[in-house]
Amino acid sequence: MDWRRLGFIGLIIVILIGAVVLVGGAKVSPPVIVVSMLATTIAVATPLTLGALCGIYCERAGVVNIGIEGMMLASAFFGWFAAIYLNTILGVTPLPSLLAGVLAAVLTGGLLGLLHAVLSVTYKVDQIIGGTVINILAIGISGFLNRQLFFERGSIFGGEVPHAPGVLPRLRIPLLADLPVVGRIFEQQPIAVAAIVLVLLTHFILFYTRWGLRTRAVGEHPRAADTVGINVSRVRYANVIIGGLIAGLGGAYFTLESVPSFEPLMTNGRGFIALAAMIFGNWSPFGAWAAALVFGAAQALQINLQFFREQIPPQWAFLQQAYIVGLIPYLLTMVILTGIIGRTTPPAADGVPYEK
Amino acid sequence: MFKRFFAVTSLVMIVSLLVGCGPKQPAKASFEDCPKPEVFCVGLVTDVGKIDDKSFNQSTWEGVVQAEKELGALVKYIETTDSKDYDKNIAQFADAGFDVIVTVGFALGEATQAAGKKYPNVKFIGVDQFQAPGTEVPNVVGLVFPEDQSGFLAGALAAMMSKTGKIGAVLGTDAVPPVWRFGEGYRAGAKYINPNIEVNVVYHNDVGFDKTFTDPEWGKTTALSMIDKGVDVVFGAGGKTGNGALLGCAERGVMAIGVDTDQYYTVPEAQKVLLTSAMKLLTPGTFELIKMAKEGKFPQGGNYVGAAGLAPYHEFEDDVPPEVKAKIQEIDKALKDGTLQTGVPPAKPE
Repeated sequence: MDWRRLGFIGLIIVILIGAVVLVGGAKVSPPVIVVSMLATTIAVATPLTLGALCGIYCERAGVVNIGIEGMMLASAFFGWFAAIYLNTILGVTPLPSLLAGVLAAVLTGGLLGLLHAVLSVTYKVDQIIGGTVINILAIGISGFLNRQLFFERGSIFGGEVPHAPGVLPRLRIPLLADLPVVGRIFEQQPIAVAAIVLVLLTHFILFYTRWGLRTRAVGEHPRAADTVGINVSRVRYANVIIGGLIAGLGGAYFTLESVPSFEPLMTNGRGFIALAAMIFGNWSPFGAWAAALVFGAAQALQINLQFFREQIPPQWAFLQQAYIVGLIPYLLTMVILTGIIGRTTPPAADGVPYEK
Repeated sequence: MFKRFFAVTSLVMIVSLLVGCGPKQPAKASFEDCPKPEVFCVGLVTDVGKIDDKSFNQSTWEGVVQAEKELGALVKYIETTDSKDYDKNIAQFADAGFDVIVTVGFALGEATQAAGKKYPNVKFIGVDQFQAPGTEVPNVVGLVFPEDQSGFLAGALAAMMSKTGKIGAVLGTDAVPPVWRFGEGYRAGAKYINPNIEVNVVYHNDVGFDKTFTDPEWGKTTALSMIDKGVDVVFGAGGKTGNGALLGCAERGVMAIGVDTDQYYTVPEAQKVLLTSAMKLLTPGTFELIKMAKEGKFPQGGNYVGAAGLAPYHEFEDDVPPEVKAKIQEIDKALKDGTLQTGVPPAKPE
């Protein structure tokens, strides 16, 4: 565990939240601000964390995946479509429809992962091209089907966008969720919880199981792995597909957990930010999670600086230029990449097709 | 090597097939007749976004569809997918001999003026494109709305309905003047009712024009962040981003105010919390201008000011006290006859 990096990231989050408390503390009580910032941070970080985990599985096995954005977008669409179809056409009650929607989203991600694996492992296509293909494919498919299935007069829904079955309910942690101010943090939606569980699980799998050891071996030195009898292609296939499944869950967040609607291009580049989080976190699950939280905290900061704009002292007024605050995570990523807090090292065989 | 080449090529082909299948237009054989003087053709170019956005593009398109029904116009739209294509999309209609071209949104302003100069015989309606004095083009009319008044009414209503004394607004980018006028009008209206009220206006400035109106997740997150701090009425204004704020309110059971169109019909999930909507009457405004063009009464450049106002209260009909309704009517009247000014400049000062 890279404690220096995690400490640095944690410090940034504390500074971001502290800044808002400093500015707005007089208007709203500090605990309320902190809790509200954390709630925003966790929500924003959820798809980023899942996207970054997808990247970690792929790249730790030596396959660069810049198609996370496309995987999430396509999954967001198919998950939403499945949920609405079950609920509206087949008359299934909302909760099972939503859960089936999540399953459909996860499978969509897995299929795109399979596609990426076929391209990059079997056909040894340039992996950047393979990822780009997935991104373009997802934009095309989701946009086209969205129109055909929902907005054409002869479509199954008759040209009217049907009433969505809502979003996944919040899970309450008993007792903790009943606490007065902080209770809100312990009342999360299932995908947000799943993201945290997956971080722990991924850390365990990568560093404490035979599977993880093989995955890392294949990503660092596939020839050495091959000589000891590990099937490089099979390991890469499996990891890229697993990554796809996780990205699919990230896609489900957009349409089944956050807002009950699909918009073309609604992932808005978060798949790429997830890649940045993965690099920021040095290809480790905890690092990537922490980095995703920094991106979330930066967004919370930006919302709150506007909220408290009457409290900001005039000499700091330039901070209200949201572009400046919005830049923070990207500037930090660049700072990290310069190696100030330890080198960022990708897996040695990352992006290199393995030729026997 | 061949295998790899084959894989890439076939994928690229599949992708281009899918991307290439554009929207099906209601097929009428006679679009080729548009250059003829007796055939009246109206084309609409959307801003980046879809014709069915439940908001801006859609309401304007409904005005065009009304022209199809009542004036017998041939109508067609092009959805813009990339802001670099504005000129190209407008030119498609102009070159096909369309009589009137409607371009939707502030962002198409420059492209529309340029096209107006290039095609002097085509009438252009630029929705939300304020024609600044001195830059007018004789065949380009900006269809503009007093968003500040609409926002002022929403703010006044929010201030009267709030119990916590804290109200909020979640908007698209303030670099788009109509959005800014909505936001600042809202602030001014709330302060007009109660100078001590807390008004929190948050703009989605941190992303480009292409994303600022299509980010419902951000809108919802922002609305929830406000609600956490005691805000009990939220004005969501900015395409899908604003719709996200309405959905956030619906989740928490907090009053919401929609924008542009009567969002009671466009965001059914928020019906239970939707107090009203700060409307721009896009459909009649668009239709009136098309009708003027058809009858040869199209204005000689400049701006055409459409109407703005609040939508019905719907499920809040009984919850809004009569004195509040009366006050809103009074303000509406005073704004319209000019005895009350919102004090909001047309665009954000530099």
